[in-house]
Amino acid sequence: MDSEFLKVDLFGIPWMTLNVPTMIMSTVAMVIVFFVTFFMSRKIQMYPTGAQNALEYLVQFIKNVISSTMEWKQGKNFVMLGITLILYVFVANMLGVPFELATADHEVWWNSPTSNPVLTISLALFVILLTHYYGWKMRGPKEYGKDYFRPVFFLAPFKVVEDFSNTLTLGMRLYANIYAKEVIMVMLVGLGASGAFWAFGAFIPLVVFQAFSVFIGTLQAFIFTMLTMVYMSHKVSEEH
Amino acid sequence: MGTVAIAVAITAGLAAVAGAFGVAIVVRSTLQGITRQPEIRGPLQTVMFIGIPLVEALPIFAIVIAFLLLP
Repeated sequence: MDSEFLKVDLFGIPWMTLNVPTMIMSTVAMVIVFFVTFFMSRKIQMYPTGAQNALEYLVQFIKNVISSTMEWKQGKNFVMLGITLILYVFVANMLGVPFELATADHEVWWNSPTSNPVLTISLALFVILLTHYYGWKMRGPKEYGKDYFRPVFFLAPFKVVEDFSNTLTLGMRLYANIYAKEVIMVMLVGLGASGAFWAFGAFIPLVVFQAFSVFIGTLQAFIFTMLTMVYMSHKVSEEH
Repeated sequence: MGTVAIAVAITAGLAAVAGAFGVAIVVRSTLQGITRQPEIRGPLQTVMFIGIPLVEALPIFAIVIAFLLLP
């Protein structure tokens, strides 16, 4: 594609490449999530108003998502995980919607950090590792190990493959949706910049597509959290 | 360049068709279930939102391959 990222080799080692704009953007997303939730939860009252209402609605929503996939006895540990994931992925998806900054020679400086496959797959990898950790911790090593041979013993290789494919699809789904959104938006902006006639022609599709990408971003954040809880329930639940 | 562009177009188009048909089947079955038993709408929607990503995974891989093929 046309867009380029500023890349820096860490300590001068060739394969340790840092993607500087993606690091900046993911830090921006974290800072936004932290301060928004921090200032929304300062004045806690018995009868909630305004910001506290919105936050309690979010918590209730995550509780519903969790209790639809697993027992509440295990699920109560994952409320904060769900809120963190849905807020981070949502804010990261929304960052690239209103505008995108790039220098004249197509060096991108402001976009959605989730349009980078490395970020999404490492996020998915840590989610899968967390499910293994909680499966080990909550049910003990014996039950956790026996789970690989659970319905019949010869399904064990498929269970191992399933872990890898879960990681890959969980990350790739988020990446492909957001990256496709960014590519189409860059194409529409490029079309609008090519002439006065096309600027009128491309304006309305761009606005419509921005609304659609808000929808996509929200849905992907929800699906990421939902699937995290589904994978977690596969490892944590007592019986299948 | 020309051949690769055609390959990318075919891959992305087929992925779109496959994803649309697969998701259509899932949503149609969910709608039929809801019309038969409106009271289990919530659990059906949960299962639908789990099933749609599973169906969509392979078209998404095709799209990623199309992106990788782009020069």
